[in-house]
Amino acid sequence: MSIHYLTASILLSSILTLLLSIALKRSHLYAFIITGIGLIGAALTQMSLIDAPVVSELLFIFTPENAFISAGLLVILVFLWSQLYHWLAKSGNTCEEYYLLMLTASLGAVCLIASQHFASFFLALELMSLSFVGLIAYSNNKPTSQEAGIKYLVLSAGASALILMGIALIYLQTGSLTFDALPASKVQQIANVPLNLTTSGMIFIIIGLCFKLSLVPCHLWVADIFEGAPLPTTALLAIVSKLAAFIVLWRMFSYGQWHTDSTVLDIIALVAGASMLIGNLLALQQERLLRILAFSSISHFGYLLIILLLVGSDTSLLTDISFNLEAMVFYLVAYMLTLTGTFSILMQLEQNTSVSQLSGLFWRQPLQASCLSLLMLSLAGIPLTIGFIGKFYLITAAIAGQLWWPIGSLVIASVIGLYFYLRIIMVMLSKTATFSVPCTLDMRERVTAWVIIVIVIGVGTFPSMLADMLRTVTH
Amino acid sequence: MLLCLILIPLIGGVLAGFSQRLSPKLPRRISLFTLLISLTYLVMLTLVKPIARSSQWLFDESHVWIDRLNIAAHFSMDGLSLILILLTLLIGLAALSSAWSEIEQDQGFFYFNFLWTLAGILGVFLAMDLLLFFVFWEVMLVPMYFLIAIWGHENRRYAALKFFLFTQAGGLLMLVSIIALVVFHYQQTGLLSFDYHVLILAPIASPAAIWICLGFLIAFLVKLPAFPFHPWLPDAHTQAPTPASMILAAILLKTGGYGIIRFVLPLFPNAVQFWSPLMMSLAVASIIYGALMAFSQHDLKRILAYSSVSHMGFVLLGCFSLNMIALQGAVMQMLAHGLSSAALFMLVGLIQQRFHSRDLHQLAGLWRYLPQLSAMGLFFAIASLGMPGLGNFIGEFLVLVGALEQHASFAVLASLGLILGAVYSLRMIQKSFFGPFRIPDLDPQSLTLTNDAGIVPKIDIGTNTTSGIEIAADLACISSGEQSRVGVAEHIEKPEPPSSYPDLTPKEKLTLMSIAAGLVFLGVHPQPLLDLLEQSLAQILAAYAMTGSES
Repeated sequence: MSIHYLTASILLSSILTLLLSIALKRSHLYAFIITGIGLIGAALTQMSLIDAPVVSELLFIFTPENAFISAGLLVILVFLWSQLYHWLAKSGNTCEEYYLLMLTASLGAVCLIASQHFASFFLALELMSLSFVGLIAYSNNKPTSQEAGIKYLVLSAGASALILMGIALIYLQTGSLTFDALPASKVQQIANVPLNLTTSGMIFIIIGLCFKLSLVPCHLWVADIFEGAPLPTTALLAIVSKLAAFIVLWRMFSYGQWHTDSTVLDIIALVAGASMLIGNLLALQQERLLRILAFSSISHFGYLLIILLLVGSDTSLLTDISFNLEAMVFYLVAYMLTLTGTFSILMQLEQNTSVSQLSGLFWRQPLQASCLSLLMLSLAGIPLTIGFIGKFYLITAAIAGQLWWPIGSLVIASVIGLYFYLRIIMVMLSKTATFSVPCTLDMRERVTAWVIIVIVIGVGTFPSMLADMLRTVTH
Repeated sequence: MLLCLILIPLIGGVLAGFSQRLSPKLPRRISLFTLLISLTYLVMLTLVKPIARSSQWLFDESHVWIDRLNIAAHFSMDGLSLILILLTLLIGLAALSSAWSEIEQDQGFFYFNFLWTLAGILGVFLAMDLLLFFVFWEVMLVPMYFLIAIWGHENRRYAALKFFLFTQAGGLLMLVSIIALVVFHYQQTGLLSFDYHVLILAPIASPAAIWICLGFLIAFLVKLPAFPFHPWLPDAHTQAPTPASMILAAILLKTGGYGIIRFVLPLFPNAVQFWSPLMMSLAVASIIYGALMAFSQHDLKRILAYSSVSHMGFVLLGCFSLNMIALQGAVMQMLAHGLSSAALFMLVGLIQQRFHSRDLHQLAGLWRYLPQLSAMGLFFAIASLGMPGLGNFIGEFLVLVGALEQHASFAVLASLGLILGAVYSLRMIQKSFFGPFRIPDLDPQSLTLTNDAGIVPKIDIGTNTTSGIEIAADLACISSGEQSRVGVAEHIEKPEPPSSYPDLTPKEKLTLMSIAAGLVFLGVHPQPLLDLLEQSLAQILAAYAMTGSES
C-alpha cells in the first residue's frame, strides 16, 4: 500500500467517524469539526505528497501534478467548509448529512483525479455523482432544489449509462480496462476491424464527460441545477465535479493517447468552439447571477478544451511539451480560485443573487462589491487578476501549438463575455433611490473577502511563485 | 528609479481613496500633492542625469517579475517617453484643477480612479517588456471605465461599456499578437523573451509578421482612434465627466500613437511597408471624416471628439510616412493636440457647469457675459485649427511636409483637413460665443435664478440635453424654473443682469493660461523638443533607412 493512499484513507476515516457520530449524537458542531479535521488533514497530507515519487499502479496513478491538483482541490474544500457552518445553520435543514455527502463527493473527486483504469474511473465518478444528487436535493424547504435533484439524477444516470457503454465497446476492442491499453492494440485494430468500435467507445465516454462538464451539446441542465441547488452545492458542483471530470478527460487523452484519433479530435475542437461561443452568448441576457456563472463556466471549459487539442502535438513552437500541462493546471487553478471566491461572496449575499438585487451594492457594501467586481474582472481575464495570468498561459500554449481557429473563437468569446461581467459591475455601481439599510459585515465575512482580494490580486500581480511551483510539478 | 514614478500615483490613489473617511476635502489635496511629488521627482531625475547624446535611453532599469517565462518588469525612458510623461503629469494637474470643484460625490473613489488611470498611462509610456506594457495598457482602462460609468453624464453606462468593449477587443488582439511575436522570435533565435530591447534586435522574418503586426495595429488604431475603429470615442468623450474627458482626449489617445511609434514601426519593418498604404488611406479618411462629422454636430463635446479623430488622423499619417520630419510632426501633433484638446474640454466643462448645456442650438453670445472664458475658447479653437505660431500648426505642417515626400497624393488630401478644421472650429466659435445672448432657459426671468436656486442644477444634470431629448430637457428647465420662482420670488424684482454667471476663477485662469503658454512655446520655439526627440526617432527609423537604401 503506497503512501499516496493516505489522503483517501483520511477522508474515508473521517466519513466513518462522521457516520458513527451522527448515529450516536446529532450535533451540527461535531459534524462540522470532524469534517474540518478530515479535510484539513487530507489537504496537509496531500500537500506534503506533492514531492513524492511517481507511483503507477493498476487502478491509480500518482504523479506530482495529480498531487498538486488534488491538494488544490482539498484547499478549496477547506475554504468552502469554513463558511459552511454559518450557511447551514441559517438554512433550516438538518445539517449533519450535508457534511457526510460533501466528504463522499470529495473522496470521489480525489479518486477520480488519480484514476487510470476504467473501473476506478467509473466507481469514483459514481461515488461523486450520487453524492451530488443528495447534495443538490438537500434543501427540503425549496421546491426548486428537489426538482434540480431529480433532473440531475436522471441526466447523470443517462450519462453514466453512456460512459458504461463506451467502456464496454473499448473493452471489446482491447480486452483491457486500463486507459493506456488502447495504444498497444491500436495498430492491429485499424488493420483488422472495419467498424471502428474504439472510436465509438471514445465518443460515448466523451459525451458522458461532456455532460459532467456541461459542454455544449450536453449543457442544457446546467443553469437550472446551478440555480435550484443550495448555494454551497452549486459551488461544489461547479468546482469539485468539473475539475475532477476535466482531469480525467485529460488523462484519457494524454495517457490513453486518444489524441491520435482524428475523429475524436475534430469532435473536441467542435465542442470547444461551440462551448466558448454559445456559453457566453447564453449568459448575455440572464437575470440571475447563478445562471450567468453556469453559462460562463461552459465557456471557460470550452477554453480549457484547447489544451486537449494540444496533447501530444509535437509541433509546439516553444519546444517544451509540458508547457501545455502547465498552462492547463494554471488555468484550472486560476478559474477554480476565482469561482470559489465568487461563491463565497454569493453565500454572504444569501438570497440576493439576481442581478437587479445587486444594484447599488457598491454604496451599501463597498467591500463585498469591490470583491465581487474583482472576481468578475478575473473571470473576464483583465490584467492584475489571477484570471488574466491563466488566460495568458492558455493563449501562449495555444499559439505555440499554432491553433489559430480556437484562438480566434477564444478572442471573440472573451469580448462577448466581457459584456455580461461588466454588466454585473455596472449594476452594482448604479445608485438606487431606495437605499436598504447598510448592514455591517461581521468579522468572518470581512476576513473572507480580504483573503479573496489578496489571493486574486496577489497571484495576479506576482504570479512567479505559483509559476515556478507549477514548473517543478509538471517537469 | 522609474518604478517609483508609477508607484507614487498608485500609492497616492490608495491614500486618497481611504482618506475620504477623514475628510471629504482630503482626497483632492492628496491628489494634488501626489501629482506635484511625481512632477518634482521627474524633474529631479532628469536634472540629476543630464541628457546624454550617446545613447537613446536616458534611464533603464529591470526587476524580476515572472521568471518562468522570462518576463521582467523592465522600464526605460528616452526622449519620447520623457516628453509624453511630462505631458501626462501636466494634463493630470489641469484635469485635477477642473475636477476640484466639479466632482462632489464619492471624492475618495474618484481620485483613486483618477490617479490609477494616470499611473497606468505612465506605465504604458515606460514599460519596455511587452507583457508589462500590455498589463498597463489594460489596467488604465478599468479605472477610466469607472470614471465614466460613475461620474459621467446622462448616457454614461452605455458609453463606458462601449469604450471598454472596443479597447478590450483591440487589447485581446494585441495580447495574441504579443505572444505570437514572442513565440516566433523564440523559434527564430532560441531566446524566449518579452523584452523590447531583445525583440528589436531580430525583427521576425516569418510571413506571419504581417498578421502579427496587424494585431498590434488594430489595438493602437482603436485607441488612436482611426476611422473605422472610432465609434467609442464620441460617446466616451461626451458622457465622461470633464476631468476624465481631458485625460481621455489629451493623453489616453496618445498611447495609441506612442504604441505605433514605439512598437509597430521598429518591430515590424517589412510588415509596416506592407500596411503603410492602407494605414495612410485610413489616416486621410479619419482626417476628412472626423472634420465632416465635427461640422455636423451640435453638442460641443461631440464636436471636440470628432475633431480629435481628425487630428489623430494626422498622427497616423505622420507615423506611416516613415521619415524623420513626418514622425517629428506626429509627436508634435500629439503634444499640441494634448494641450489644446484638454483646454477645450475644460472650457466646455466650465460652460456646462454654468448653463447645464453644451448644445450649440441653445447657447449663443456667451462673449457678452463671459468675456474671459470666450477669449480663451477662441484662442484654443484657433490653436486647434492650426494657426501658425501655435503648436498644432507645427505638428500638422511637419506631418504634411513629411507625407508629401512619401506619398504626395495623401498629403494633398490630408491638407483638406486643415480647411475643414477651420470650418468646423469657426462654426463652433461663432455659434457659441458670438451673436445674441441665448442660453437653455427659455424663460428670461429664470435667468437670474439658475444660480440661486439649487433645484435647477440638480434636475438638469439628470435630464441634460442631447440631440434626442432636447424638448424634454427644455420642459424640465421650464418647470424647474417655475418651481424655483415660487421659492425665491423676491429675487425676480432685482434687475440683476445675467452677469451672475461667474467668469473664470483665478485657478481656472491660471490653468488655461499655462496650457496656452505651452502651446505658444510649442509653436514658437519647438526646437528643444525636437532635439530631445531626435535620438529616439532616429533609432526607430534606423530599420527603414537601411531598407530604403537597399531598394
